Amino acid sequence: MKNLHGILFSYERSDALGELVLPRTNASVPFGGRFRMVDFMLSNMVNAGITDIGVVMHGKYQSLLDHLGTGKDWDLSRKYGGLKLLPLDANADADSDFRGRIGALHAVKGYLKEIRQDYVMLADSDVVINLPIQDVLQRHIATGADLTAVCTAKLNDAAGTTYFKVDENGRIVDTALGQYVPEGYRSLEIFVASTKKLIELVEECISHNQPSLSKGVLQGMVSKLNLQAYVWDGYAAQICSVQEYYSRSMELLQSNIRRELFRADRPIRAKESNNFSSYVDENCRCVASLIADGCVIEGNVENSILFPGVRVGKGADVKNCILFKDVSMGAGATLHYAIVDKRSKLLDGCTMMGHEKYPMVIGKDQEI
Amino acid sequence: MKKKCIAMLLAGGQGSRLYVLTKDMAKPAVPFGGMHRIVDFPLSNCTNSGIDTVGVLTQYRPLELNSYIGNGQPWDLDRSDGGVHILPPYQSATGATWFKGTANAIYQNIGFIDTYDPEYVVILSGDHIYKMDYSEMMDVHEKMNAACTISVMEVPWEEASRFGIMSVDSEGMITEFAEKPKEPKSNLASMGIYVFTWSKLRQALIDDENDPNSENDFGKNIITKMLAAGERMASYSFPGYWKDVGTLVSLWDANMDMLLRSDLDLHDDSWPIHARVPSMPPAFMSAASKVTHSAVSRGCDIDGEVFNSVLSYGVSVEEKAKVEYAVIMPNAQIGADAEVQYCIIGEGAKIGAGAKIGAAPDGSEGWDLAVIGPGAVIEAGAVVKPGTMINIDGEEVQKK
Repeated sequence: MKNLHGILFSYERSDALGELVLPRTNASVPFGGRFRMVDFMLSNMVNAGITDIGVVMHGKYQSLLDHLGTGKDWDLSRKYGGLKLLPLDANADADSDFRGRIGALHAVKGYLKEIRQDYVMLADSDVVINLPIQDVLQRHIATGADLTAVCTAKLNDAAGTTYFKVDENGRIVDTALGQYVPEGYRSLEIFVASTKKLIELVEECISHNQPSLSKGVLQGMVSKLNLQAYVWDGYAAQICSVQEYYSRSMELLQSNIRRELFRADRPIRAKESNNFSSYVDENCRCVASLIADGCVIEGNVENSILFPGVRVGKGADVKNCILFKDVSMGAGATLHYAIVDKRSKLLDGCTMMGHEKYPMVIGKDQEI
Repeated sequence: MKKKCIAMLLAGGQGSRLYVLTKDMAKPAVPFGGMHRIVDFPLSNCTNSGIDTVGVLTQYRPLELNSYIGNGQPWDLDRSDGGVHILPPYQSATGATWFKGTANAIYQNIGFIDTYDPEYVVILSGDHIYKMDYSEMMDVHEKMNAACTISVMEVPWEEASRFGIMSVDSEGMITEFAEKPKEPKSNLASMGIYVFTWSKLRQALIDDENDPNSENDFGKNIITKMLAAGERMASYSFPGYWKDVGTLVSLWDANMDMLLRSDLDLHDDSWPIHARVPSMPPAFMSAASKVTHSAVSRGCDIDGEVFNSVLSYGVSVEEKAKVEYAVIMPNAQIGADAEVQYCIIGEGAKIGAGAKIGAAPDGSEGWDLAVIGPGAVIEAGAVVKPGTMINIDGEEVQKK
């Protein structure tokens, strides 16, 4: 897949993710025990043989920068191409802002013009999916589309979601934004276009003062352009709220979903840190859980997801929780239905509980 | 560019006493502790000690080891000046020779060492599990103004005759050295880790090469000769955990020691042991699983019962299988209802449903580990008795 270029939009911060996006954008929210949201689309691109990937970033991107580094964990530290970080304020005046994906692409138009490949995939960084990108490009070329949009028949009613009406030939005939009763196909915010076409579209939208990809292209040009739908019927999660984050995370405890998402032939890669095996002590119970590297478990863990380096002290009781990297649970501490951000500590004997319908979020670096 | 110190890692040995585990790979590439391979320990020790240039001498079945070490990135040894270098035997104008012994392996790479013009060279083995700060040993070497410093540790007197044994004076200077003495005069054993002043070692290697009677071995020849020539030989007494994992039992022991998390604590962030591990999702333990006093690694899928065992990455333990006192190497599969006890299961081996591998009743004597070689397939319901070893072709291999 030498002929495809990747661009990831990583600046989205969903307010409904609350404390989880205080220190970061959606793209670097931890997910699935050892990954960040961006790892899924990034790995999909790398697995499809894409060698040049630009990551568009704006605001609160320190966490993402730390995660991506030089891109070596995704084999993207290259002499030619590789990972290119594109902070939108890099060339802008201090107080300038941008709106929409077209606006963002316009802000990096110098970069767009240097793309070596004939085709570009645009994607949001917060979609959990294991997508065979070659198939998307193949369909794009076969249908002679101006733009191909990846979408799913599995609907949900998240605010701001884009829905497509698709005819029998797979052509998108109508685009609706944030429908009250969703119908048709839900956009997964993953697109393919030729590089030439993309640059044309950006210039046309900007000259009409339309910085939004959804409004300007998907909606505004739906009759003018050949917009094709690539319908994905596999697993995909877009996460915009704490409740969604929690329920989509807990789905990973089902083996059929894990098998679909974590395939040996298309591995999802994460940043590597120190690797140690995890230790489960005597006289403790650790069941129905995902346990990442380097955890030390001396208490009870049930129906939970533990990121690397989590410590669970003796007699502690962790149920239905998601514990991020280096979280520590003191001896005898009790925690149910909670998401605990990096390095936070529950001291000995502390008890805190959320509810399945309203999981509690404990922010980064807290001591309770 | 000139370096103060570089390390040379002897990784060419076959490790014949690991039998089926080293049939297709060199001993340093053998998996350890779930996420590591033996070679990770000396390589990480180098990085943590501030040594950024390491020559790795390979000879026996180097493929696995070469691809594992690669450019050295997991150990931060991908450097533009220095870094890790794989040094296989090579052909020269006068012909090609295999490494005749440990000393000869270094002799053949004098050219490599000279390019860095180091003051000191650390000589390491690729078959030890330990965490050591070589810079402390170098401090002793400098302070004592020694030509050679040997790290030593006390071993039980009854085992002393298996080691190279040192006698030292009150300052720690070595007065006598005996390789595997029948009647040891001391219980200070050489750990096979040396710091040499390069100019001294360089001359000793050349002299040794010109000695037709020499076996070109560090312990037997170089150390003995340097001591006899009156060179200053210091000892560095190592207080930590150290184990030579050259035998199946010692490899299994070291894995079990890790589970105790006292002497060998791999969770200690101050001295990380790095590894190259494929990307896999976290380990999953099902609702029916029971895992206690065990190590689990990424990619594990556990539905059975695991007690006092080390599960490497990608291992699956199916429902109602029972794994006890076992070391399960990467990507091995344990079938439903199988009983796997007191054994080592090689990388990628498949244990069929209901198979019984090894066992040793409490307090029984004279038992031995069962060992299933990498890639071996054990059929459903098969029984592999304690002390039995099976290779990839399903044949029983005898210990010598």
